[in-house]
Amino acid sequence: MKIGVPRALLYYYYFPFWESFFNNLGCELVVSDKTSEVLINRGIKNSVSEICVPIKVYIGHVFNLLDKGVDYIYVPRFISIKKNITFCPKFLGLPDMIRNSLQGVEGKILSNYIEARSDDISNYKNYLGFMDKLGVSRSTLKNAAKKARKVWLNFREKSRQGLFIDQILNDRIITGASNNEITIGVVGYVYNVYDQFISMDFIDRLREMKVNVLTFEMLETKKIEEQVGKFAKKMFWEFTNKLLGAGYHFIHSPQVDGIIHITAFGCGPDSILGPFLDTEAEAFNKPLMRLRIDEQTGESHLITRIEAFTDMIRAKKEEEEGGSFR
Amino acid sequence: MKITFPHMGSPLIYTKLFELLGHEVIVPPKPTQKTINLGVKYSPEFACFPLKVLLGTYLEAIEMGADTIVSSGGNGPCRAGYYGEVHQRLIRNMGLDIDFIIFDELKRDYKGFINKLKKLKGQHSWFDLYKIVKTAYKMAVSTDKVKKFIEHKRPYISDKKKLNKVKLAIEDQYREIKTEQDIVRVEEYAFKILKGLDIEEKTGAEKLKIGIVGEIYVVMESGINFNLAELLNDFGVEVEMSHYISEWIQENLIPFVSHEKEIMKKAEDYIETIIGGHAKQNVGHIVDYKERGFDGIVHLKPFGCLPELVTQSILDKISDDLDLPILSLSIDEQMATANVMTRIEAFIDMIKQKKYKRSSDHERHVFGY
Ligand code: SF4
Repeated sequence: MKIGVPRALLYYYYFPFWESFFNNLGCELVVSDKTSEVLINRGIKNSVSEICVPIKVYIGHVFNLLDKGVDYIYVPRFISIKKNITFCPKFLGLPDMIRNSLQGVEGKILSNYIEARSDDISNYKNYLGFMDKLGVSRSTLKNAAKKARKVWLNFREKSRQGLFIDQILNDRIITGASNNEITIGVVGYVYNVYDQFISMDFIDRLREMKVNVLTFEMLETKKIEEQVGKFAKKMFWEFTNKLLGAGYHFIHSPQVDGIIHITAFGCGPDSILGPFLDTEAEAFNKPLMRLRIDEQTGESHLITRIEAFTDMIRAKKEEEEGGSFR
Repeated sequence: MKITFPHMGSPLIYTKLFELLGHEVIVPPKPTQKTINLGVKYSPEFACFPLKVLLGTYLEAIEMGADTIVSSGGNGPCRAGYYGEVHQRLIRNMGLDIDFIIFDELKRDYKGFINKLKKLKGQHSWFDLYKIVKTAYKMAVSTDKVKKFIEHKRPYISDKKKLNKVKLAIEDQYREIKTEQDIVRVEEYAFKILKGLDIEEKTGAEKLKIGIVGEIYVVMESGINFNLAELLNDFGVEVEMSHYISEWIQENLIPFVSHEKEIMKKAEDYIETIIGGHAKQNVGHIVDYKERGFDGIVHLKPFGCLPELVTQSILDKISDDLDLPILSLSIDEQMATANVMTRIEAFIDMIKQKKYKRSSDHERHVFGY
C-alpha cells in the first residue's frame, strides 16, 4: 500500500515519526515533491483566496501526491498536543477542508485525530482507525508506534543539539562560517522556516552573512514553558505558544542580538502573537524584524531587508561593545 | 467606574444590566466608518476585523469618558477568546490607563471570576445580582422575540416609516424596564402595536426566505454588515439569523444546557468536529435552513476569520449537495458598500428565478401541460 505524505505543515516536525511508523506497518511511503511554483499555483487555484499561504501550499502537495498515484494521502487532524491547548482552526478542520473542497480525493484520505499531552504523538490509540483501513493488527500498530517514537525522539534530540530541521531531514551539510559574529533568533513555524520555496532559504542566507541562527525547536522545552508560564492566559494554539515562549526567551537572552519573526500572509494566530513580541522586544531594546511572506514575495526584496537588518544589528553591537571598553 | 462594553447588535441588554447594578454606563456608539478607521489604525494588520472594530469602539467610548471595559473572554481555538488580552495590551501601549474586566470561563479561573463579579456587583447582595442578571437575560429573550418578528414581517410592511417609529417606541419602553414583570408588559405592548401595522404577507413562489450565517460579530452587528437584514427585507425577503444574543447567552453563560447539539449534528457530514468559532453550528444552520424550506443563504465572514475560512472552503460542496444557493461575503475595512449591494441584488434575482422556475415546473407537472 502506498501512503502519500504532503511535504508541508507538520511534515517538518513529524516526518521521521510518520516514516518509521508507516514503514513498520508495511506501507510504502511517498513524499510529495519539494514546493515549486507549479505546485504552489495548484494550491492557490484550488483554495479560497484569503486562506494562509501554508494551507495553499499543503493543498498543492495533496494534488502532487494524487499525480503520483498513491492509495492514500495521510491528512492527520491535529487537535491537541498539550492539555487544554489546541491547534489553529485550519489544522482542526484540515481533513474536512481537503475532503470537501478538492476534486479527486474522494476515498483517498487517510485521517485520524491526534490528541496527546505532549509533542510525543506516539500513543497507538490515536491510530486505531488504521487497523481496518490498512489491514494491520493491533500489535503491529503498537509496535510500529513504539519504534517510530524512538526515531522521532532521536530527531528531536538532534534539533536540540543545534541542527536545523532541513539539515536533519535531508542529511544536508550547511556551509557557513563557524566564527559567526552575531546571533539571531528566528521565530516562525517549521513549515514557514524550512520550506525552501516559501522561506527562500533565508536561513542559509543568514548563515552566509555570518549570522548564527537559533530556532524554537533547538531550545529545551523547559525554557519555552518558563516564558509561556508567565502568561495568565496562554494562547490557544500550541505552536504559537512555542513561538511565544521562544520569542520571549530570545528577547531576554543576552546571547541573542536580534529577532526575526517570519510569518505567512494570512496567519491568524501570528496576528495575535505579533503585538506581544513587539512590546516585549521594545521594552528590552532588542531589534525585531517581521518578514511576511506571501505568494509573490520577491527574493531580492527579502535579501535586502535581511541585509539591512543584520547591518543594523552589527552596528548596534559594535557601538555597545565599543562603548563598554572606553 | 464608568463602564463600557463591546457593541454587538443592540447595546440595550448590557446597558440595562450595568445600570441595574448601579453603574454609570457609557453606551458604546454603533460602529461607523470612523470607528473602523480608528480601530484599523491601532491594530495589527492581520488581526481579524472584529478585533479592529471593537478596538475602535473602545477608543470612541474612552473618548466619551469610559474608564472600565467589561467583556467576555473565551476559549480557543478561535482568536475571539483572546481579544481581551490583545485589546488590553494595545490600549495600554497607547498610554491609556483603562481598567479591563474580562470574564473568562468559570472553570478557567474560578477565583478571578468571582472577584470580578464582586467588583461589578458593588453593594448589592448575591441574590440581587442573580435577580438583575436574570432580568437582563429575560430582556434579551424578549427583545430577540420582537427582533425575529420584525425580520420576518418587515418585508410585507409597506409603511416602513411607521415601522421605524414603532421600533423606536418599543425600544424606549424596554429602556425603562426595572423588573421582570415590566418585561412582560412591554412585550405585550410591542406585539400589540406591531400586529396593528398593515402587513400583507406573501405566499407560495412569491415568498422568499434567506438565512444569514457566519461569524457572530459580523452577523449581529448591523453597523458593519451593511444592515444586511433590513437590506434583504427591503428586497422583499424574509430573513433569519444564526445568532441572537439571547441564544449566545444560553449557550455560553448558562451551564449544562445546550440547544445547539441538534444543529451541530446536522453539520457532521461536512465538519466532523468543533473547529472553533461557530463554524460547525453555521454549517448545521445551513442544513437546517434547507430542511425548513429556505431559498438561499448569505454567509458573512470577517476577512481572514480562521474557522469561517474552513466553512467557506466547503460552501461549494454544500451548495451543490443541497441544491441551495449560497452567497459568501468577506467583510473588511475596504469593502465598498456599492459592490456588496450589486452582489446581493444579483443573488436575490438568481434565487427568484430559480424559485419561479421550480414552481412553474411544478405546476406543469401537476396540471399536466
Ligand atoms: S497557524 Fe497561521 S499559518 Fe499556520 S495554518 Fe494556522 S493560520 Fe495558517
